[in-house]
Amino acid sequence: MNWGGFGSVDGWLAILGLSVGTFLIRYSFIGLLAGKRLPPRFERALQLAVPAIFAALVLPLILMQAGQFDLQARWPHIVAAIIAGAYAWWRRGMFVPLLVGMVALHVLLLLTGK
Amino acid sequence: MSEGTDNAAARAAYLAGIRETFALIPSYVPFGLVCGVAGVQAGLGEWGAVALAAFAFAGSSQAVLTQFLSSGAPLLIAVLSGLVVNLRMAVYSAAISPRIAGATRKERLLWAAFLVDQTFISNEARHQRGEHQQHALAFYLGCATMLWPWWVLMNAIGAFAGAKLPASWQLEFTIPLSFVVMVVPLLKSRGQAVAAIAGGAAGVLLYAMPLKTGLIAACVFGTCVGMLVDAIMTSRQSHNEAAK
Repeated sequence: MNWGGFGSVDGWLAILGLSVGTFLIRYSFIGLLAGKRLPPRFERALQLAVPAIFAALVLPLILMQAGQFDLQARWPHIVAAIIAGAYAWWRRGMFVPLLVGMVALHVLLLLTGK
Repeated sequence: MSEGTDNAAARAAYLAGIRETFALIPSYVPFGLVCGVAGVQAGLGEWGAVALAAFAFAGSSQAVLTQFLSSGAPLLIAVLSGLVVNLRMAVYSAAISPRIAGATRKERLLWAAFLVDQTFISNEARHQRGEHQQHALAFYLGCATMLWPWWVLMNAIGAFAGAKLPASWQLEFTIPLSFVVMVVPLLKSRGQAVAAIAGGAAGVLLYAMPLKTGLIAACVFGTCVGMLVDAIMTSRQSHNEAAK
């Protein structure tokens, strides 16, 4: 039975630092902007920032294999992501579009023998 | 509204949050296991790895922190690097703030505590659909109830059992896939679609920037391009109307 260890003091300082710092980042605007009305232009910018940052987050994850951009290896993933995205646009929901995307990926990987 | 029906509505919102995020369960498995293993390898001990998952609740920054600690980097550098990775949460914090205008201080602490990619975008989707507007926090806490314990559990299994899933399952692909599925229905205007395309392109081109700072740069770039397209469309519209 592995009862687990507690590591070093430095390790716990790191845990504390990342946890507290991350909370402050999360609380930043939620706390600062409490009860303030934002200018409409800034609100519009935030509406645009959401798709921009998620696209920037997602595309490298779809296009990269083992830390390298590799369109040749990743085309099944690209097609599967497009299929899942199209399905989500058509039908909404989370579970079914995700399942559709994963099934599409495995079918494509099987067909191409990758 | 009587108190009874209000409680029932809050409970319905909470359950809707649980249901909304249920499908994300598989996407936490591979990355959670990897983060748990990495925590132990970085010398945090099994319990340290679990505590990191519980209190930071932010996978990519956990990965960066433990990677830096493993490579013998100074403590301060490792922590700051992890924090830079989490700067995107400031964007979420700003975007969620106008949605919770009437929230009390205690409620704001709860909104902040569970702010991650998945809870943020689930709440955005709910807001766009106009559901549970009176009980947004209950919905959000439903999402957190599904995701936070599961994240901690996956990290714990990684830390204590060193477990890994076969790569051929491609389960880690459910992370980008779930973001695609959640964000696509939010693209309502041409400006948003353009912002996504510009942000995505910049995200790929700037990927090599250290500590995922390219993410923030890409976000700013995509937002600016989107605003430019917005401005062009509005001026063209008013021009057309003037011509009539």
